Amino acid sequence: MIFTDILMDGLPAAIAGVGFGAISHPPKRAFSYIAVLAAVGHAIRFALMNYLSLDIAFASFCAALSIGVLSLWFGRLSYCPMTVLYIPALLPMIPGMYAYRAVFALMMFMHSLHTPEVADTCMRMFFSNAIVAAGTIFLLAVGATIPTFLFPKRAYSITRK
Amino acid sequence: MNDELKETAKFIADYAACLTGSGVHTSRILRNSKRIGESLGVTIHMTVLHKSLILTAYNGQNDSFYTEVVDIPELPVNFEYNSELSSLSWKAYDKRLPLDVLWKEYRQIKAKPAMSPYLVLLLSGLANASFCKLFGGDRIAIGIVFLATLAGFFTRQQMQRRHINHFIVFTVSAFVASVCASTTLLFNTASEIAVATSVLFLIPGVPLINGVIDIVEGHTLTGSSRLMHAFLLIVCIAAGLSLSLLLFKSRLL
Repeated sequence: MIFTDILMDGLPAAIAGVGFGAISHPPKRAFSYIAVLAAVGHAIRFALMNYLSLDIAFASFCAALSIGVLSLWFGRLSYCPMTVLYIPALLPMIPGMYAYRAVFALMMFMHSLHTPEVADTCMRMFFSNAIVAAGTIFLLAVGATIPTFLFPKRAYSITRK
Repeated sequence: MNDELKETAKFIADYAACLTGSGVHTSRILRNSKRIGESLGVTIHMTVLHKSLILTAYNGQNDSFYTEVVDIPELPVNFEYNSELSSLSWKAYDKRLPLDVLWKEYRQIKAKPAMSPYLVLLLSGLANASFCKLFGGDRIAIGIVFLATLAGFFTRQQMQRRHINHFIVFTVSAFVASVCASTTLLFNTASEIAVATSVLFLIPGVPLINGVIDIVEGHTLTGSSRLMHAFLLIVCIAAGLSLSLLLFKSRLL
């Protein structure tokens, strides 16, 4: 049951990774690797959040770290720089709902300036959602970049044939 | 004047500007350019900024310098350039390719046909639809998000083809996509999720992540300008989204 849940989470993430990746024109040979990375990353985050009840920011960091390590290996297999593989794979993990709620709260805040209680609630909603969204995006990028710092030689010569 | 040095510097400047324009993080641009310089016997020092880059090529044998400042072209993000041009820099380094061969290979890489825009349109529609699924949308919401993304992304492609200002493109596309997604209000479905996911294909993920990478690696200035640019685009998305929220606000609450 847990296994199918994780699988059902990874599959849409793979499609999302490939689709958002296509917007940035990756080389064709990279698509299969991007799909695997996106699925594995999102599934790891799903498992950490649901079964170990970690928060979204730290779970995203762990998932991004795994994507980074895997992209070091996949990069060697496909002669693609790590960023080409891991940036599209990170995109499905961008916390869209939090970003949306932050925007919505900001708009409602502007609308309720004459009713201070409502404005207060909106402001709180804005800050908590914006902090989660910004923190998660930052940790996603940092997590995936750490393997580059740990294995610089390998990471820098990945496209060497 | 040392002509060979000048030609080398001109090639590397063009190469680095192309990499910068197509969404490569700064440390890779520096490494690749220096590697090509080394293979041709010159030392490269460069500064990468958001709109231009400054490069000095130094030839130690006859102690000559050449400096070049180039504007960075506004290219769409292109990871194919990222990997093929990085590969080219290693090839130049390992095989000591002469400059004319480098130019030839460089032009070949740039002449490669891009993916069909209709295929990209379809894939981004599917991507956003599966995003909606990840956020817990039901079938109706997923279907409508798919169609809304097609409409929004098509708007973006058409406007970008006409070289309309980026910020206007993002605002209008976000508005089109979120208005289309607001049709979920007619059905008994998760409208909030549908409206929220419909604009996510516009999120400038590449500059966001590249910006953080740049800052972490110490290229704070370039990283900040990338983040600032991404932030402005997000503000535009928010503006387009707010416009349609204003239209349908009473029903979304």
